[in-house]
Amino acid sequence: MVHAPIPGARFVDPAVLARVSNLELVARSVVDGVINGLHRSPFFGASVDFAEHRGYVPGDDIRRVDWRVYARTDKYFVKEFEADSNSNFSVLVDVSKSMAYGARVSKLDYARTLAACLTYLVHQQRDRVGLATFDEDVVDYVPPSAKHLEAVLHTLDRARAVRPGRFGAPVRKLSEHFGRRGIVAVVSDLYEEPSEIFDALGLIRFRGNDVILFHVLDPSEIDFDFADPSAFQDLETGEQLPIVPDALAESYRAQIRAHLADLESRANANRIDYTLLNTRVPLDHALFAYMSIRDRLTRVR
Amino acid sequence: MAFLSPLFLLGLAALAVPVLIHLIQRERKRVVEFPSLMFLRRIPYQSVRRRRIHHWALLLLRLAVLALVVTAFARPFFRSGALAAASGGAREVVVLVDRSYSMGHEGQWARVQSAARDEFARLGPGDRASLVAFAAGAELAVRSTGDRDRLAAAVGTLSPTAAATRFGPALKLAASIAAESELPVRELVLISDFQRAAWDPGDAVRLPERTSLRPVSIAPEGAVNLSIAPVTVQRGTFAGQERITLTTGVLNRSDQDLTRDVVLEIDGRPVQTATVQVAAFGSQAVQFEPVLVTKAHTRAVVRLPADALAADNAAYVVLSPPQPLAVTVLSAGSARSAGILHLSRALAIGDRPRFDATYQQGDGVAADLLDRARVVIVTDTAVSAAAAERLARFVEGGGGLLVALGRLGSVPGALLPGTPGPAVERVRGVPGTLGSLEFGHPVFEAFRQPRSGDFSTARFYGYRSLQLDPNLGASVLARFDDGSPALVERRHGQGRVLVWTSTLDLTWSDLPLKPVYLPFVHQLTRYLAAYRELPPSQTVGQVVDAADATATVTGDLVALTPTGARVPLASGAPPVISLDEPGFYEVRPQTAGAAPVLVAASNVELSEADPGRVDPDEIVTALGGAAGGAAGAAGAGVVVPDETQERTQRIWWYLLFAGILLLAGETVLSHRVSRVAR
Repeated sequence: MVHAPIPGARFVDPAVLARVSNLELVARSVVDGVINGLHRSPFFGASVDFAEHRGYVPGDDIRRVDWRVYARTDKYFVKEFEADSNSNFSVLVDVSKSMAYGARVSKLDYARTLAACLTYLVHQQRDRVGLATFDEDVVDYVPPSAKHLEAVLHTLDRARAVRPGRFGAPVRKLSEHFGRRGIVAVVSDLYEEPSEIFDALGLIRFRGNDVILFHVLDPSEIDFDFADPSAFQDLETGEQLPIVPDALAESYRAQIRAHLADLESRANANRIDYTLLNTRVPLDHALFAYMSIRDRLTRVR
Repeated sequence: MAFLSPLFLLGLAALAVPVLIHLIQRERKRVVEFPSLMFLRRIPYQSVRRRRIHHWALLLLRLAVLALVVTAFARPFFRSGALAAASGGAREVVVLVDRSYSMGHEGQWARVQSAARDEFARLGPGDRASLVAFAAGAELAVRSTGDRDRLAAAVGTLSPTAAATRFGPALKLAASIAAESELPVRELVLISDFQRAAWDPGDAVRLPERTSLRPVSIAPEGAVNLSIAPVTVQRGTFAGQERITLTTGVLNRSDQDLTRDVVLEIDGRPVQTATVQVAAFGSQAVQFEPVLVTKAHTRAVVRLPADALAADNAAYVVLSPPQPLAVTVLSAGSARSAGILHLSRALAIGDRPRFDATYQQGDGVAADLLDRARVVIVTDTAVSAAAAERLARFVEGGGGLLVALGRLGSVPGALLPGTPGPAVERVRGVPGTLGSLEFGHPVFEAFRQPRSGDFSTARFYGYRSLQLDPNLGASVLARFDDGSPALVERRHGQGRVLVWTSTLDLTWSDLPLKPVYLPFVHQLTRYLAAYRELPPSQTVGQVVDAADATATVTGDLVALTPTGARVPLASGAPPVISLDEPGFYEVRPQTAGAAPVLVAASNVELSEADPGRVDPDEIVTALGGAAGGAAGAAGAGVVVPDETQERTQRIWWYLLFAGILLLAGETVLSHRVSRVAR
């Protein structure tokens, strides 16, 4: 539980945590860690999962000699176990101006709550947590650390959606920071061409990171349930278009469906977890649904 | 385009409301912030654009409906001047210039001329104009021409006259000019000071279609003017001599109390002066001391000092000593006998004119009496043949003969209109009465009006029958109740003969006891003498018939006007003088040194000096009403008050109808738009 003095603690929603506290966000791939944790380590280490036997070499701890094999073969073999490690967990939050949109709850608030809850959850798993916010450029960057929970929450609290956004450039820039394999969660409304999005995410993914893409949208962005003819103003550019919703809604919905389908398709191709979060759905429900599926799939490996 | 209720146009501001709402909704309230137009931008723009155009069409349609309704409530109309201009085409302009004597105010005539020249200067290339100068009558100075220089020059030749203003004749003349014109637009321009007396609403003036009237008012402002009222002449006798008292009045037309000397001139010499003080817009009577007039055609002038308007500062009157009318009465008895007692008393009472009666007994008549007399009355007497012959010559020369037949009366020869028959006795039973009278005849005209003389109460107990000779052209002026002639007239030569078949005394009737007797006898005598009293003064514009005065004059006559012009009177034609100037007109033989045979005094019409004005719109309205009846629905372009014009044109009705049509169209269009949208 986060106490009041931490400015971003308000984003750590108890309802969300209560719903997902019995789940774990575990990296699907191997991550680099220095302490034991929930994630698979690239090294063999102490754990309960037997990996293989190998011949004893001087210097090995004689306590790890498998004496039953010695009794059968009269040779010294050492038992190797799968090592578990802690992980770097970074959240990339889109704070472009379009994220300020939302009738009941803004996408930015939704994203911040999501980021805070995930960070807190991961921190509880003894993983290192970090944060990056970006719009058309990188706004804030908190490197992953076991001690950076408060910094992350503080940064989330300060995040404001004031500038127009781009996806490719800042994400490419941030990819330089993710040399150590870990989990990278990206929270954005993804108003960018899918090819550009996945080109940028590919850089992070190819560095061995497990990328989770949270696509946050307001219900009106999906359903386009406007009625009156109005001038629609682009939140980021200020451009206005006279729109008669009755005439355009169907076309719009077709466009957004195609966009979402394209994103999902490309995410699968790039082995990126893609999740569409509708701000109409309470975050605890949405996150619980996602993490349940992920958890189930992870344990299947 | 003008509006009767322009305040309603403020309602047009309501047009801005839907537009503002539209703009505000589009630009402010109806701006919807959206995260990204990335997808909206990809939708073909035409669909949005087309939809906008359709909405604008509906908006414009609704705005047009609103504008039409608001404009209809403002009750628009075209002023006729604007109508003429808007209708285009060449104009036929008739400029009517008032040149009555009231235009003689200082500087006023120059303003009138300037106004007329301005009208001509505004003529377009295809326009034509006429110039009508008018006062009591109208005169066409220049007929329809496009020559502006000629028109302007004609204005320069005009000058104020002494006549009063009358709009009727001028407007009729102008209307006839307009009616003859083939130009599409006709305009009458009435330049006047619009005196109240000038306009008679009863003038049946009609303006042709597409003819407008534009009044141009040029009235004197703040002028000090005094007028002399018409002079009344009272005759009285003092010490056996007739004296004449002249009375007049001074009218102050200004807003200042004024004191002036009023001078009476007799034959050009001031004889009396009276000082009067007249309050503002008031009047003061002036009575001069009686004067003795010994000479015929004595000229008297009552004069005021000069002021802003000179024409009404003098009143002219002609005074003459009394001229008694000589009457010779032939009777069987003397003047004091009962037979002519009532007749003689009646003739003694007359004063206009005074009768100078001479009574003669017997059947003859002296020649000198006939030479002096103008009327001979034969009452109940049988005239001898010689006397009858003299009487016939007397009548032929212009004398008048009245024969009261009675029981004995007869005149040999063919002088009488018929042959007297036996007496009709009405002693027993119901006495006779006068059954019918020719009230159209001058003798009975004075009794025409009710309570002006009742002949029906007179009882006639006897009268002579008269067998009329149809060849003599006799006319029966009165009949008894049994149809018998009572009074018969015939003309003989230049004179007249009247036959009264009863008596003028109490022998056969009680008519002499009736009030109507005295005026009846006077009327008979005046008619027979062809007596016509020339009034001491007349008004400019009247016509003087000098026939009576010049009947005995041989040779050519000439009329002298007050300004000294000599106007020969054509021989053979009726000697008639038209009074065009104030002052004294005289008629005299053309021979040198001859005395005038007639002098007439001419005065300006006083109403012309009255500063009271008629509202020009009143004239326009009256003409509009008259023209409206004639033109009917065609809607003559007469300049009428705004209300009348608006009521005539009824543009609001068309606007409202158009608004309803547009509303129906809007309904159809909006349905179609919504159907397409679905």
